[in-house]
Amino acid sequence: MNTQNEDGHMLLFSSNEWYKELSHDEIQEVISQAKAWFDRLNAEGKIKAGQALARKGAIVSGRNGRLVSDGPFAESKEAIGGYLVLDVETLEEAIAIARTNPALAYGTSIEIRPLTEECPLDAWVRESALQEQLANA
Amino acid sequence: MLLFRGTELRKSLSPEELQKVSENWMAWFRRLTEEGKAVAGNPLEREGKIVSGKDRIVSDGPFAESKEAIGGYFLLDVATMDEALAIATECPGLPYGIRVEVRPVAGECPIGAEARTEAQFAQV
Repeated sequence: MNTQNEDGHMLLFSSNEWYKELSHDEIQEVISQAKAWFDRLNAEGKIKAGQALARKGAIVSGRNGRLVSDGPFAESKEAIGGYLVLDVETLEEAIAIARTNPALAYGTSIEIRPLTEECPLDAWVRESALQEQLANA
Repeated sequence: MLLFRGTELRKSLSPEELQKVSENWMAWFRRLTEEGKAVAGNPLEREGKIVSGKDRIVSDGPFAESKEAIGGYFLLDVATMDEALAIATECPGLPYGIRVEVRPVAGECPIGAEARTEAQFAQV
C-alpha cells in the first residue's frame, strides 16, 4: 500500500457522547485541552482545514434524493462531530497525531483516512479490468 | 459539508456503468466549483485506521465494504441548509445506493457551547 500521500490525511471525530458522564466543568476542561491541541498543531503548520459540525443535519438518499432522515445526529454512534485535514504525508504521522487528542481519554474514537485524488469508482473500474485480464490470461 | 456514504454500488454496477457515474460526479464537482459553491472536496482512500479509547488502540476500519463508510466529502459555501440539500439531491450516486449526509459546519464545538450554556443556567 502506498503510504505517501501529498493530499494529506483526514481525521474524523466521532461524537459518540464521550461527554455524557462528565460534569459541565469537566467538559469545558476537555474542550479547552482540545483547543490547545488544535492550536499547537496549527502553529506547527500541520492543519490544512478543520471544523466542528453542527449536531443537526440530514441524510439524502434514493433515486429522487428524498430526505430520509432529519437528524438528530448527536445520538448516533456513527455520527461525525468534526473533522481535520492534516498536512502530513504518511498514515503513521496522522495516527501519531490522532493518538494525542485529549478527548480519547473519555472513550471517543477517531477515524483516520488518507485523502486521494482517485475517485473510488475509478479505482473499482481499474480493479475490475485488472481482474478480467488475470482471468483471461 | 456533504459526506458521501456507501460502497454498495460496486456490486450493482458494471465497470462501464461505474465509469459513467464517476464522470458525471467529476462534472458535478467541477460545475459546483465554477459556481463558487464547492470550495473543497476529495475522495478518501478505502483504507485507514481507527484510534479509540483511553488506551488509544489503533485498529483497521471496515472501510472497503461498509455500508456506512465515508467515500469522500465536499465542502460547500452556501448560505442555507436548503441550498445544501438541493445540491445533495444532484449527487449522481444517489440512484445506486449512495447516501449523502448534509451537515452544517459550526463555529465552535457544539458540545462545549452546550456545556457552557447549561452551566450558566445552573447558576441562575
